[in-house]
Amino acid sequence: MAAATSTSAKPFDIVATYNELLRSDPDLTMPIAAIEALVLLLTHSPSSTISETLDLLEKSTAHLKQSIPNPIGLSAGTDLFQRYLITTLQRPGQLGPAGDFNAIRAHLLSNGRLFIRRAKESRDKIAAFGRGFVRDGSTVLTNGGSRVVASLLQQAAGEKGGPSAVRFRVIYVLSPAKGDVEGSSAEPEGMETVRALREKGVPVATIPESAVAYSLGKADVVIVGAEGVVENGGIVSRMGTYQIGLLAKAMGKPFYVVAESHKFVRLYPLGQYDLPIEQRVIDFKTEEDVADEATQQQQQQAQPTPNVKSPDSSDVVDYTPPHLISALITDSGVLTPSAVSEELIKIWF
Amino acid sequence: MTSSTPTAPSPSPAAAAAATPTTSTTSTPSTASTSSKPTKQQPSSQSQKPSKSATKSKDAATAATSAPAAPADSATAQLTPAELKKRAKAEKAARRARERAERESSGPAGGAPSGGAATPGKKDGSGGGGSAAGASGSKQVPRRGSAQNASQNGGGGSVSGAVPAGGLEKSAGGGGGGESKGGKKADDKNVAVFGHLYGQQRRTTVAGAGKEVHPAVLALGLQMRDYVVCGSSARCVATLLAFKRVIEAYTTPMGTSLPRHLTTYLSHQITYLSTCRPLSISQGNAIRALKLAISSIDPSTPEAEAKAFLGEFIDSFIREKITVADQVIASSAAQKIQDGDVIVTFAGSSIVKQTLLLAHKQGKKFRVSIIDSRPLFEGKSLARTLANAGLDVQYSLVHGISHAIKAASKVFLGAHAMTSNGRLYSRVGTALVAMSAKERAGGVEVPVIVCCETVKFTDRVALDSIVVNEIADADELITAEPMQQLTGLPDPAAVTVSAADAKKGGGGGGKSAAAAAAAAANAAAESNTLAQNVSSPLTGWKESANLQLLNIMYDVTPAEYVDMVVTEMGSLPPSAVPIVHRMSTNL
Repeated sequence: MAAATSTSAKPFDIVATYNELLRSDPDLTMPIAAIEALVLLLTHSPSSTISETLDLLEKSTAHLKQSIPNPIGLSAGTDLFQRYLITTLQRPGQLGPAGDFNAIRAHLLSNGRLFIRRAKESRDKIAAFGRGFVRDGSTVLTNGGSRVVASLLQQAAGEKGGPSAVRFRVIYVLSPAKGDVEGSSAEPEGMETVRALREKGVPVATIPESAVAYSLGKADVVIVGAEGVVENGGIVSRMGTYQIGLLAKAMGKPFYVVAESHKFVRLYPLGQYDLPIEQRVIDFKTEEDVADEATQQQQQQAQPTPNVKSPDSSDVVDYTPPHLISALITDSGVLTPSAVSEELIKIWF
Repeated sequence: MTSSTPTAPSPSPAAAAAATPTTSTTSTPSTASTSSKPTKQQPSSQSQKPSKSATKSKDAATAATSAPAAPADSATAQLTPAELKKRAKAEKAARRARERAERESSGPAGGAPSGGAATPGKKDGSGGGGSAAGASGSKQVPRRGSAQNASQNGGGGSVSGAVPAGGLEKSAGGGGGGESKGGKKADDKNVAVFGHLYGQQRRTTVAGAGKEVHPAVLALGLQMRDYVVCGSSARCVATLLAFKRVIEAYTTPMGTSLPRHLTTYLSHQITYLSTCRPLSISQGNAIRALKLAISSIDPSTPEAEAKAFLGEFIDSFIREKITVADQVIASSAAQKIQDGDVIVTFAGSSIVKQTLLLAHKQGKKFRVSIIDSRPLFEGKSLARTLANAGLDVQYSLVHGISHAIKAASKVFLGAHAMTSNGRLYSRVGTALVAMSAKERAGGVEVPVIVCCETVKFTDRVALDSIVVNEIADADELITAEPMQQLTGLPDPAAVTVSAADAKKGGGGGGKSAAAAAAAAANAAAESNTLAQNVSSPLTGWKESANLQLLNIMYDVTPAEYVDMVVTEMGSLPPSAVPIVHRMSTNL
């Protein structure tokens, strides 16, 4: 937030704010960062009418979505905020269309902050709901760097030696390390959680993605995080989740998804290739194409391009259909996939 | 689509229905032939026929029993007022029964056997309650038993079961004058599993409709019956528009108020419509909403104001629930169509048509494969419309489904209704298409998308397509369709004429070489028309034993076969249907 206020002199840049927010707080999820960025935008904008505000919001949202390679998680936040704004404005009374706009604005901003705080608290709530799914003596298979999964497992591990501690083991699926842009660490995503769990005395095995099928026989339950929960109860998550889901289904292991309810997206993918993002995962090439690319890369290295649209391998996602998911553990309770649409309809109508 | 025969009484299309999107279909020639049958049996059939009408069997029963009793009463000179009243009532009932008999005798001949075997039990029940003659009363118990037998084992041993029932029926109804034809043909023509769906025969003429039925409704009833107005949405819109005219023409009688009386007045119209064709779910929902609006009117409101309010209500209902809803659905469903897609659709849904046309207008490059089926061939007009719009269209009948589904990338389906357990209730054959798409062997499963307005949602639950369904006239299966619609073959009527000419020339002139050549040229066409017009092997199905025809209208697609339901309230999984239904009815 400090970063955002410092930029107040020049025109407000929503994309920069969003990225800054994500970088400054490692615990922040994409939808929340988006909402926070929008709230900051409103504090900075001099808009004085409702339609002006909505228009500004719409434009910045579109701009933000365009400049982020994978806007699925983000759009959950922006949609939610916009929806909240509209319902607030439609409500009769002082804060309705007839009311004083400055009051409305103040109300919006304070509520926006409240929302952000609640969203951050939701992780603890989920951990409380989800603890029951990690049984004594069980082995949990998980993947990725989901913070909710991490907090759930850590809470299940509890205080070292405490009375409520559950004794369980974790099989952690690690995707191979990639050349990180930040360059801070070359270690795979999730290594942090692995260390934290080991610190708490939880035995953790790390396996590569190719060993999932091999290891699944030793696991009792699969718990994964999600980037977005879509309308039919399926999830959009980091690449590799879908295959774990398929394998878990084939082996009859329960497959749980842990996600905050602000990750519910108004999106209805019909399959892997129906996501509203461009992913170049399958990229057919001949020798000629490879040569072409090499020369292009050399040219690009000469002039560094700002905000590259093509996502690097860490950002790619896949879609896990609802029939592979046993249950979704959210802050509004443990839901079946079909209950997700009910929740979404409740939010939207 | 041209009508193959100048048949069923089709009144000039009411302005109400003219505005609606309609799928026209040919009416069946066989009904035409039966409907033009002279109605000579009127007087004699009086006591035999009423047994057919299952729903109004009580009326019929009193008519049958008290009509012969009337002369006896008149012999006694002195009558108490109560007796007089009773007599007048009996006469009226008899007259009604006669009217009904007239109406039904002009209907398809299938009525006679169906009544003979399936409904005597019902008639007995009410007859026993009335003042039945002693002679027939003594026969009641065994008769009822045999009638039940007949309807129970109707499928396998229907002949043995039905014949005694028919015989008894004949002897019981003999008081009226002994119409023995019905008894002889008592061989059950109803498919046993669907026996409960047969109910009343569809109305064939406006004769006998109540005097309170508005002309616009009369016309609409027949249009629906003949599938001129066809399709769930079209029927719903047409009904509402007709009711709007009814309300415009309505004046509140003295001593009642509009909100109290109009509902019952509308009920007459609704009853008439449902005798023409069972009401669709959408019609039912619309009528329910309309009745709610009527009852919400304050009785002290001036009539003109109340009528204006209702007109406005109907207009906004159509706009919100159907017109605009269709646009919203089309635009969100069109988003799911991508370049290179092959869209499979079944029959002719207006909303799917709208979706495909919109996607085409948006410049998407895709192909459409239309699966169609007999006897309505609703896909033909869809194929024509899409092809005219410049889309690539492939048309095949449902037996080609396994071939057509191989190339498919998405399936779009229309709906008659969505039930609360997420199942799709739609034109028969839909389930087959959905299943083929989901269980396609050796390929990625194809997403099945249903486009459906929320006005078609129902709180009913469908587990199979047997309990709730609609049975159409089985004669529709026999009639050969004229072939010229899409294939470009010459009009069969014209061919027949020319063939006849050629024959005449060949027979009369004898050695005329030109005539012989013409005859030869026409030979193929002639045999073709012969096959169509003269002898469908099933023509005499009602006379032949052991042969039943089933013309079922709808089937139920399991929720697992549906990936997405596109409604005006967003895209949903089928499991969300009850929630949305609850919300859309509460709002």
